[in-house]
Amino acid sequence: MQKNKKVKRVLEIIPGFLSWGIIILLILLAIFNPVSCAIIIIVFDFYWIIRTVYLTTLLVMAHHKLYRQKDKNWLVECHRLQARGILNNLYHLIIFPVYKEGLDILRPSLRALQECNYPKEKMIVVMAFEERNPGARENSAVLESEFKDKFFRHLSTFHPDGLEAEARTKGANATWAAKKAKDLLQAEGIKDEEVVVSCFDADTCVDKEYFGCLSYHFLTSPKPHQASYQPIPVYNNNIWQAPSFARLVEISSSFCQMIESMRLEKFVTFSSHSMSFKTLVDIGYWPVDMVSDDSVIYWKAFLFYGGNYRVIPLYNTVSMDVAYSSSFLKTIEMQYRQKRRWAWGVENFPFLISGFLNERQIPLLTKIRRSFHLLESHVTWAVWAIILVFIGPLPIILGGAFFNQMAIGYNLPKITGLLFNFTFAASLVWVVLSRIILPPRPKGISWMKNVVMILEWVMVPFIILIIGSLPALDAQTHLALGRYMEFNPTHKTKRVV
Amino acid sequence: MSNEQRIRAVLFYLSVAVFFTGLPAILSSSLGYKFNPRTLKFAKTGIISLKTQPQGASIYLDGKLLNDKTPATINELLPGSYNLKLELRAHYPWSFQVNVEPRKVVRLEKIILFPKRSNIEQLNQDKVSRFWLDKDNARIYYLNQEGSILYESDFKGEKFKEIGNIPPGFIPFPKELKVSPDKEKMLIFNAHQIAVLYPRPAGDLSYTQPPVLLDFPGQQINNVFWHSDSYHLVLVTDRSIKVTEMQAKSSPVNLVNLNSRISEVSYEANSDTLYFMDSQTGEDGVSYDNIYKLELNKKAVLFNDLIRLRQNAKE
Repeated sequence: MQKNKKVKRVLEIIPGFLSWGIIILLILLAIFNPVSCAIIIIVFDFYWIIRTVYLTTLLVMAHHKLYRQKDKNWLVECHRLQARGILNNLYHLIIFPVYKEGLDILRPSLRALQECNYPKEKMIVVMAFEERNPGARENSAVLESEFKDKFFRHLSTFHPDGLEAEARTKGANATWAAKKAKDLLQAEGIKDEEVVVSCFDADTCVDKEYFGCLSYHFLTSPKPHQASYQPIPVYNNNIWQAPSFARLVEISSSFCQMIESMRLEKFVTFSSHSMSFKTLVDIGYWPVDMVSDDSVIYWKAFLFYGGNYRVIPLYNTVSMDVAYSSSFLKTIEMQYRQKRRWAWGVENFPFLISGFLNERQIPLLTKIRRSFHLLESHVTWAVWAIILVFIGPLPIILGGAFFNQMAIGYNLPKITGLLFNFTFAASLVWVVLSRIILPPRPKGISWMKNVVMILEWVMVPFIILIIGSLPALDAQTHLALGRYMEFNPTHKTKRVV
Repeated sequence: MSNEQRIRAVLFYLSVAVFFTGLPAILSSSLGYKFNPRTLKFAKTGIISLKTQPQGASIYLDGKLLNDKTPATINELLPGSYNLKLELRAHYPWSFQVNVEPRKVVRLEKIILFPKRSNIEQLNQDKVSRFWLDKDNARIYYLNQEGSILYESDFKGEKFKEIGNIPPGFIPFPKELKVSPDKEKMLIFNAHQIAVLYPRPAGDLSYTQPPVLLDFPGQQINNVFWHSDSYHLVLVTDRSIKVTEMQAKSSPVNLVNLNSRISEVSYEANSDTLYFMDSQTGEDGVSYDNIYKLELNKKAVLFNDLIRLRQNAKE
């Protein structure tokens, strides 16, 4: 047990150690051996150019797929499956873990469910409140009075505070709610394998075709219980009202998810997603002591099924709120905290390696590949912007006259300039794509906002600077120092136009 | 595997191939190496970086015209000496013997190509005898050949116009012209006279005020400065430093008596401080040159007091 703890601590230190090691090594090289530093930066710049082209192409492909399936009637597709002898007798269990979100956030989420093109008598909605939240009972009563009869069942649960072995995380609340839902399903005589569970952030508004799409993919998947189903998260709920900075960050997050949806071998669940309820029960529900429950649940299932577990991308959107605040600085702080919470997903690394060490079924090569992908993605996240923005110019600044007389000293800024030109060209593609996923302009918003939303992309370098790498480095440093993060959800508010 | 995943796999392996084939080329080129496919060896090379003002000059390297025009980078040059020549139409050519060292860059980035004489323009539109540049106001002032009329123009010679007459009693020719800090007046002076002129505002043909002529017979005026109040004048003569009001009959105040007949002076207009050099005979009987500072700002000296007391700083 003591040994396991030590191994876990070492594994927790590795990502932060690597990220800081890379940064410090490059700074030292810039001071003492600027030529070596410049060579590494040129390699990294070239890698980043290739990566930018590759990922932008994937984004275009994902976008094309999303656009193609945009208006598809998935319920009709599900009915057509009957001809192939596949009956749709699925129930959808939808859990909304609620922290402090008010009715202004929760109502639209439930209304979106109500407006879904899917039989409501097959939908069970669980509003999972935190007992410690003073307004929970009151909000629950209001929502029950409004939505009780709209679905097959509408359940409110109240997660008690301070349960043993639990941290104050969303996963703990969702697990409590899922266990209560299991009791309800048993009472109704519904089997676990007939239920698909969706765990949504409280502000998640599903597309009207979401459950049809989910059902279709579940029913047609060869091993439906050995897969999670990941929609594309977009932040359209208040995107027209949000300030430029926050809007750009969230659009970029959506784009990242779209790119990830094309890289199936690396694809991991994120934020709002769905899975088999049977699998959820079998693997022991969401972790109750980890912040990144959305991704850990995938790794739990991956380990449970001996590596035979995957994420199926759904090219259908779930829309959430852009996190922003009353002032620019508070918005930056809020975005920073949110991204740091996402970057806390680095806690998956010690979890996964510990799991791999105790697992015999998964081939070694798969273990190495998945561990490397996970570690590489987090370390790259923590260092890329720092290398490009801060360390890139260091050899020229610190290298002195000698370095600047060298051919490499002359070529380094040219190659860095080429990188920024490529990034600029790629960002033009992003601008076009961002226009396509945008919802229609609401009444009361000036048409000039269209122009602003194009011009605001010049802020990308500034955004890269602030929240490109720093939140990830911050999260990894905290993990390495053993200062664990509690779930601190982004407080979202709706702005009435 | 779906079609998308097949395309992605192709893209991925293509990207990997581009990276690993492109990287050696980029790195070797960045470090100053050139691959010779005949010998299958890398040769060390150097770079010449060229920037000219104006841009667009043709580049001749050892007599051979290159495709690029300045600004340009000449890469992959084997180490050695090269004859570099730049040519731009209507400009003087520029040439240089450049020594290229391996893996190094020769930065020739401050080259100015000077235009040929055809660029010389005549600015005056009347016969003139003298001119002065006023950098602060971007003006050129001209004196006509007889020394009686003052003109002005901008730096391009445009807006050339007469701005005033030199007072009849003023003996040609003035040494210098100085515009007052408030830009409403200007003074010209010769060896014994100072004339203060009020230039005409644009479009106005009448004088704003008649010129003022100050006479200092028996003294050699070396320099005159405007005080920051644009009313007092600081005179440096061969005998003394004086301050006077800009009035015809005002009595100048003698601030300093000078030992040296030619004193170097400099006036710092922002703080109204005069720096000057004068000689002083030491105890050993040898004459030494010293530099003095005389503050004339309003905080240090009230002019009214100064005039009333007629104080001589050195006395």
